[in-house]
Amino acid sequence: MLSMAILLLIYMLNTAKAFSYLSAEPTACINCHVMNTQYATWQHSSHALTATCVDCHLPNDGTINKYMAKARDGWNHTVAFTFDTYEPVITISDDAAKRVQKNCIGCHKSITTTLVGNADRNHSYNDDEVQNGRKCWDCHRGVPHGKVRGLTTTPNNLGIKEVN
Amino acid sequence: MGYKILIAVSAIAIIITLFLTNNVNEREQQRIDLATVPEISVEGMSKSEDWARYYPRQYSSWKKTKESGTIVDMLEEKPQLAVLWAGYGFAKDYNAPRGHYYALQDNINSLRTGAPKDKKTGPMPTACWTCKSPDVPRIMKQEGEMEYFTGKWAKYGHEIVNSVGCADCHSNETGKLAVNRAYLDRGLKAAGLPTFDESSHQEKRNLVCAQCHSEYYFKKTEWTDEKGNAKVAKVVTFPWANGLTAEGMEKYYDERDFVDFVNKISKTPIIKTQHPGYELFKTGIHSQKGVACADCHMPYTQEGSVKYSDHQLQNPLKTMDRSCMPCHRENEEKLAKIVKRKYERKDQLHELAMDNLAKAHLETAKAMEVGASDAELKEIRTHIRHGQWRWDYAVASHPSFFHAPEETLRLLASANEEAMQARIKLVSVLAKHGVLNYKAPDFSTKEKAQKLAGVPLQDLINAKLKFKETLEKEWHKEAVANGALNMESKKDVDLQSSYFNN
Repeated sequence: MLSMAILLLIYMLNTAKAFSYLSAEPTACINCHVMNTQYATWQHSSHALTATCVDCHLPNDGTINKYMAKARDGWNHTVAFTFDTYEPVITISDDAAKRVQKNCIGCHKSITTTLVGNADRNHSYNDDEVQNGRKCWDCHRGVPHGKVRGLTTTPNNLGIKEVN
Repeated sequence: MGYKILIAVSAIAIIITLFLTNNVNEREQQRIDLATVPEISVEGMSKSEDWARYYPRQYSSWKKTKESGTIVDMLEEKPQLAVLWAGYGFAKDYNAPRGHYYALQDNINSLRTGAPKDKKTGPMPTACWTCKSPDVPRIMKQEGEMEYFTGKWAKYGHEIVNSVGCADCHSNETGKLAVNRAYLDRGLKAAGLPTFDESSHQEKRNLVCAQCHSEYYFKKTEWTDEKGNAKVAKVVTFPWANGLTAEGMEKYYDERDFVDFVNKISKTPIIKTQHPGYELFKTGIHSQKGVACADCHMPYTQEGSVKYSDHQLQNPLKTMDRSCMPCHRENEEKLAKIVKRKYERKDQLHELAMDNLAKAHLETAKAMEVGASDAELKEIRTHIRHGQWRWDYAVASHPSFFHAPEETLRLLASANEEAMQARIKLVSVLAKHGVLNYKAPDFSTKEKAQKLAGVPLQDLINAKLKFKETLEKEWHKEAVANGALNMESKKDVDLQSSYFNN
């Protein structure tokens, strides 16, 4: 009985491609098709040449932090996908937004240093992750996922819809 | 007691795992359903209209390639060309390229393809169709590649009737990027590069273009068909064995003593560069940064709330907001000005190289006239051959200059140097035969240059017009009867050409 349970568990992990989630491969993020739009828009953006999903969305300040975040996200995503509790238009969580903001600044250091410095010196805000009270993408709205979101916006990445 | 708990826990675990497995499989099926692509039949694959109902946006944007329809007679623009190509088809008729929508009709209308009267006449081999139509891979599948490459151009006039379209770059079974022309993989292998299937998705977005936008020649290949008949095929071949550079290919052709034509004016054995667009692009900065052809020429496009790849392949400077600005975060107008300034620099070198090459041909003719021997002219002709190859390599592909500015300028400078070497040596050969201060005749208009090249333009036009009234009409009738052509798709292919405007 126990061995049967273990075997079934292995089978389930295999069909769910569970181990692919340990990689940094962007295609792992579209194992569940909910993210197809985000994948397609990223793939056609200039970020595709240098940054993968995890480069922006996971903390990059250490392996432990990275995998903690991965585990937390992974659990939340699994529950949402299994029990259909996600919304038609997906929005980023506050925690995840902070990570992305940090990574924007991290990679674009050469052009953000002065901006961040001025914000620190001349303004006082409670949220130290969000310089000047705004996030990068409050202005750079199309980076890198484009301005349109939602499942119907990249039709040929979601299978083909016949029109007659 | 402990045993009972273990059983109970295992049973619960099994139930939960079964539920989850079932859930995962159900979701996987959803994913497959969503990603399932319609299969286009092999018969329908060459007709882009048959793909239109599944890919309406891609089809209608492909159809917009019709907008790039202006005829620019390059022989009017750059009369030197007729001198450089004297004795070759390009001296008869050469227009700037137009949209994919016209690719096939322009091939048929060009004076270069002549005026065949039946399946076995006309100057060109079947290989001239190779890049013009998705009917080509269809015929290669049906009849075999070697049979396709055997015989005259007119052999397939009734079969090859749809212009460059869906099946040229996509698999009819999966819709994914695919190349159905085997010579691409042969070229890549010769160059020691990964084949199409071994390449990354991003590289495939270059390679589907490379199957046509590359340097090639027709390699004479002997073969025997199923019935045992000995035949000769002219197979499209990429000269990439010494690398994808102008010098590498020049060496490749020299080693084989390959000659496309002998210039009628100077009797120089010439290699006509076709259009090494892919090869030049690979040396440029955009390629080195990992940008693919499709990134600029097929920008991701927003239509209402829908995004897709634009299939209206055209000059990206017409779609700068989508093609350039996603990477170049600066002023669009400023960027356009930078590009324009670069072109002006190139044009100066371009004209210099062409003028000197044309004069070298004419001065060689004078030297022959006053009695210079082939031995005296051997070295001079090698300079002209190499100079002309490099000049042509630098400018023959669709705006090659933009793809690799430094490489283009380097090649033009090198071409000009070869031409000048030829001309310096010609001065002493001419002097030896008593000719001082010889000035090459005027080739400043298309008429003057074609006269020097001995092109009987009006005869060629008359023969072509007759062909269009007779054989071409028969081709259409036959193609409609055997189901290869939907006449609706040909309805508004206009019949412009440089000579129709005369």
